[in-house]
Amino acid sequence: MSTKEQRERIELLQGTLDLLILRTLLLGPVHGHAIAKAIEFNSDEVLQVEQGSLYPALHRLIRRGWILAEEGTSENNRRAKFYGLTPKGRRQLVIETSKWEKLAGAIARILRPAKQGGES
Amino acid sequence: MNLRKRMLENLDQDIRDHIEMETQDNIERGMSPEEAHYAAVRKFGNVMRVEEETRAVWSFIWIEELVADIRFGLRQLCKSPGFTTVAVLTLALGIGANTAIFSVINGVLLSPLPYKNPQQLVVIKEHDSLPNVMDIQRQVRAFSQGGGINVEPMDYTGGTEPVQVHVGLINAGFLETLGAQPMLGRIISPGEDVQGGPRLVMVSNHFWQNYLGSDPHAVGNTIHVDGKPYTVIGVMPASFTLPAEHADVFVSLMVRDPRAGAERDLHFMHTYWRLKAGVTLAQAQADMAAIDRRLAEQYPAEEKERKSQLVPLHEWLVGDVRPALLVLFGAVGLVLLIACANFASLLMVRAFAGRQEWAIRAALGAGRGRLIRKALTESVLLSILGGAAGLLFAQLGTSMLLAMKPEELARLSGIHMDTRVLLFVLVVSVLTGIMFGMAPVWISARAEVAEGLKESGRSTTGSAMGRSIRGILGTSELAVALVLLVGAGLLIKGFSRLRSMNPGFNSANVMTMYLQLPTTRYSEIPKRTQFRRELLTRLNSLPGVQAAMVSDIPLGGNYVGHRFVIDGRPPVAVGGEPEAQTLLVMGNYFPVMQIPLHAGRDFTPLDREGQPLVAIVNEEMAREFFPHEDPIGMRIRWAGATGLPRWMTVIGVVGDVKHSGLNQPTDPAVYTPFSQSDEAWTRFMTLAIRAQDASPGLVEQVKKQIWSLDGQIPVGDVHAMDELIAVSLAQQRFNMLLLGIFAALALILAAVGIYGAMAYAANQRTHEIGIRTALGAQRSDVLRLVMRDGAKIALFGIASGIVGALALTHLMASLLFEVKPTDPATFAAVAILLAFVVLAACYIPARRAMRVDPMVALRYQ
Repeated sequence: MSTKEQRERIELLQGTLDLLILRTLLLGPVHGHAIAKAIEFNSDEVLQVEQGSLYPALHRLIRRGWILAEEGTSENNRRAKFYGLTPKGRRQLVIETSKWEKLAGAIARILRPAKQGGES
Repeated sequence: MNLRKRMLENLDQDIRDHIEMETQDNIERGMSPEEAHYAAVRKFGNVMRVEEETRAVWSFIWIEELVADIRFGLRQLCKSPGFTTVAVLTLALGIGANTAIFSVINGVLLSPLPYKNPQQLVVIKEHDSLPNVMDIQRQVRAFSQGGGINVEPMDYTGGTEPVQVHVGLINAGFLETLGAQPMLGRIISPGEDVQGGPRLVMVSNHFWQNYLGSDPHAVGNTIHVDGKPYTVIGVMPASFTLPAEHADVFVSLMVRDPRAGAERDLHFMHTYWRLKAGVTLAQAQADMAAIDRRLAEQYPAEEKERKSQLVPLHEWLVGDVRPALLVLFGAVGLVLLIACANFASLLMVRAFAGRQEWAIRAALGAGRGRLIRKALTESVLLSILGGAAGLLFAQLGTSMLLAMKPEELARLSGIHMDTRVLLFVLVVSVLTGIMFGMAPVWISARAEVAEGLKESGRSTTGSAMGRSIRGILGTSELAVALVLLVGAGLLIKGFSRLRSMNPGFNSANVMTMYLQLPTTRYSEIPKRTQFRRELLTRLNSLPGVQAAMVSDIPLGGNYVGHRFVIDGRPPVAVGGEPEAQTLLVMGNYFPVMQIPLHAGRDFTPLDREGQPLVAIVNEEMAREFFPHEDPIGMRIRWAGATGLPRWMTVIGVVGDVKHSGLNQPTDPAVYTPFSQSDEAWTRFMTLAIRAQDASPGLVEQVKKQIWSLDGQIPVGDVHAMDELIAVSLAQQRFNMLLLGIFAALALILAAVGIYGAMAYAANQRTHEIGIRTALGAQRSDVLRLVMRDGAKIALFGIASGIVGALALTHLMASLLFEVKPTDPATFAAVAILLAFVVLAACYIPARRAMRVDPMVALRYQ
């Protein structure tokens, strides 16, 4: 990994990891490593997750009752914990997504004039 | 918590797997295994920190919620300080009183005695003579050890002024039985405990500290006791105390008093025995019975009626106070019951008041378990607060109890609050909270959400269920309070009977003090008589002083009885003669004590040595032995005396005196002049001094007179006669005071509880009352409406209380003096008092209800 690559990657905002995990699990239960891979892959490797921080987040979501963990077997035949969405988690994903969209929209609206001004 | 455990299990394994998978991916991308692992670890981040953070997600879940609950609970409690104060005080009173009593019971009844294997120790109830004790020691198979003691006050003249010390006259085996190990030196051996043996003394730690200056080389020193030199051979440790007696020094009875020691029918030793391991009390009792039979056969003249009863030491020590303590414990338990009922009823009122809030919470999705926990937190919080405040009350109460404890409790000084007591309080308080906190929670949790919301305040009649439960609580509180009040009433009545009991003399302004003449210088009776006569002459010359002396002062705790024979009556078998209390007097004893002379004449100075022997009997004696004849002029003599019969002519009859206690029956008594007695025990005397003002200065003056006659005579047991009466009443007074306090507590708690329930119920019905008034109900109708509930509580409460009291008061029969446990006057008085209290508790809310303005009431809520 070069220094250039690192500069292009973006650190995650506080709290957005939860949203990304919920979104990832919408497709079905997966294990921890797969979640990290999926987040990286789906963001075209722009979003850099320090993979370790996934675990406190997963446990936090379990405690809130948004996801569940169950024992399963990974693709290479190893026992692993699989994480899946609960109905409550599904509802929460909707709420969080709309919250995020509002936030993102608002920030975009604030930023847009400045960008335009810069171009002209 | 399951989930938490399951999730944290194998966390490190999960992480390792994760890193391994990443490594595998990296290898597939073409990295070398080493490089791949390094990159995976770097990408994962700090494993330790991740684990810590993950654990932290779970760790405070319980505590967080608990803290939130507690904070919420405290806020709720602070919001209604009135409710909180009443609830906490209610519990604190109940718990505090319970802990204080439990502390005393713990100290007296539960704590083991401070001896090795104390459960093996027994006493023989009857006193015995040394020859018998030694025979039992030799013959018994059930005991491993045993021995006897008799404590006599004697003078110790080693210090600056003569002092009276208590000498334990013992035989070999006594100290060993109690497992006493000397701190210095040794204890007496059987070989030294013989007639003519060496004069040896073992001293108590107290004596060693006070009179031997804590000298570590005290063993081997010589001290003078009763005018004779004794060699100190041992010092006892401070931890060693006798179970019942108090002794400063121990000497062998056989060495000190060989004549008295050899007399088989001189039963004056109190004996302690240790059961062999595995021997039951019944087996030992059978063994003793066999020995009793053998002794009776062997010595028919002296031991014909032997009957030795074994009693476990602990039972013997606490037997007197046990019934009182158990009754008090029961009473205080009832107080706790009332306190808890009050507490429950308070919580209930609160639960109903907060029903809407609960319904809203439930509607918003709060889990039932969470709701119950929240409610429980509040009630447990209250009980813990109550328990803590109760602990304070308990501390206060225990020191109060100790300050007014009767003599019988003083023996066992190990009364303090210990961990067991603390635990007891905590368990009681928390259980109270859970049990009674549960009741309203249960009702609230069961209540349908919709119903709770529907009832949104405008309740017309209040919840019927809540009302009936509060009614039941009020009724039972009243019933329990009635039981307690009846108990207290009976004790108060008994005590006032006891107090108004005529002791047979006038105790006001009478001082008493105990003197004993040393045998060395007063071995002959004439010398004693001379001393007495001279002393009385000097004392009576003091201005405003009338002095006399008697062998044993009433209520002083000592008693001498002799068997006697009446002249001209058919002879009675030896040993079967009747017994009378025997008192020797000199000076104007009856006028000084103001004991009335009912017939005949008093002693005069002419009734002295060398003159015809005379006696005065008490009324009881006259009643029992001369029912149909005039005792005056009759002749009596002491049974068993050898030599020429010494017939005494009865010259007078005096009033009965309560000698052994105001609640004790009067025994037949015979008074004779000191100067005409020929008996060895006449070395003792108690001065009775009536003075205008019984000031401390008087005591000093009297002591000066005594010491001007003989500077070596110690003066002991200086008491005002009033004081002796107070001491003899102490136990009854203690019982009455405590039960009285408990009953008062119960009355207050019940009154507060009933008032609270009534006021709340009336308040709930404000709307209903408004409608009724608007429709034309008169104020008297409203009054009747509210009072009806109270009258119901009063009726049922008093009726069931009377039933309960009838069932329970017989348990305290042994504590009552001349009052039946079913005394109708007490029952009636208490029932009327309680009815009055309940009606008063209802009247206040009823009056408020009567003044309700219908317009305001209809708008209410």
